Amino acid sequence: MARKTQQVETRLVAEYLLATYPQFPHIAGVPLGRVSEQLMAEVGYEKAIRMSRPIRPEVDAVVILPRFLVLIEAKVWHIIDGMAKLPLYRSLIPFTPELREYRNSEVIMELVTPWTNPNLEIMCRDASIHLHVFKPAWIAEVVARVQGYSTQEYRAAREKKLRNRELLGLE
Amino acid sequence: MVLQNTVILQDGVPTRFHFSDHHIETRTITDAATQQGVRRNTLVLNVDRLDGRAVEAVLTTMAEGLAGKFEPYLKDKSYKNYKIIITQRGDGFLRKWTVQFIPR
Repeated sequence: MARKTQQVETRLVAEYLLATYPQFPHIAGVPLGRVSEQLMAEVGYEKAIRMSRPIRPEVDAVVILPRFLVLIEAKVWHIIDGMAKLPLYRSLIPFTPELREYRNSEVIMELVTPWTNPNLEIMCRDASIHLHVFKPAWIAEVVARVQGYSTQEYRAAREKKLRNRELLGLE
Repeated sequence: MVLQNTVILQDGVPTRFHFSDHHIETRTITDAATQQGVRRNTLVLNVDRLDGRAVEAVLTTMAEGLAGKFEPYLKDKSYKNYKIIITQRGDGFLRKWTVQFIPR
């Protein structure tokens, strides 16, 4: 079974990038938003970028196409959170120093997820977000776990596991 | 910065690589919490160009957050088709990496 801390979405977005955009420059893990110009003047560009890290959100990936910039969020668990973030992230592109040369590119927003539902599709359409269902073979087990999370069997197994951890002093 | 033949990523500094090969090593490290030896997989990437210069060096990582970004490129070594810029930010468990793949 996958570990609790396994970075499933990191792997999912990496595989999606290689499968979908192998011929274009792509960046995984891109900080977005303004970096204080005053700070840049005081400590220099690179140090200002480093110091601003905690207050800048990070999009999972950006792909640089000739006329477009593609913003990508990959989600397995909280899919609607990923969808909701994308338009907010798009608003930060004109202020992102690392993407300065692309600020006039048209932005395409993509939500990458291994499963979907009709309501998600309606919301994505309304928000002009392209929804891509991407299901590499290894993710089936993760999806089964996500979808089983609210079932009685899963909850019972989880409670048993937590009891055993407590008995063994592992918590 | 090249320290012997191992590249050390510096906080906030973009470093440009070309990788020629890779392998996975199993290393035994001491767990900070338990002080016990634990075995961990390490991704070892052979570097043949570093910031535009020809080198013979390696970049190693045990971090899933960085190794995961390379995982699909390992199967057929397709990382060879890209110039790769890695920027490491933050410390400890909060460390993150921006990895840019630029087709050659």
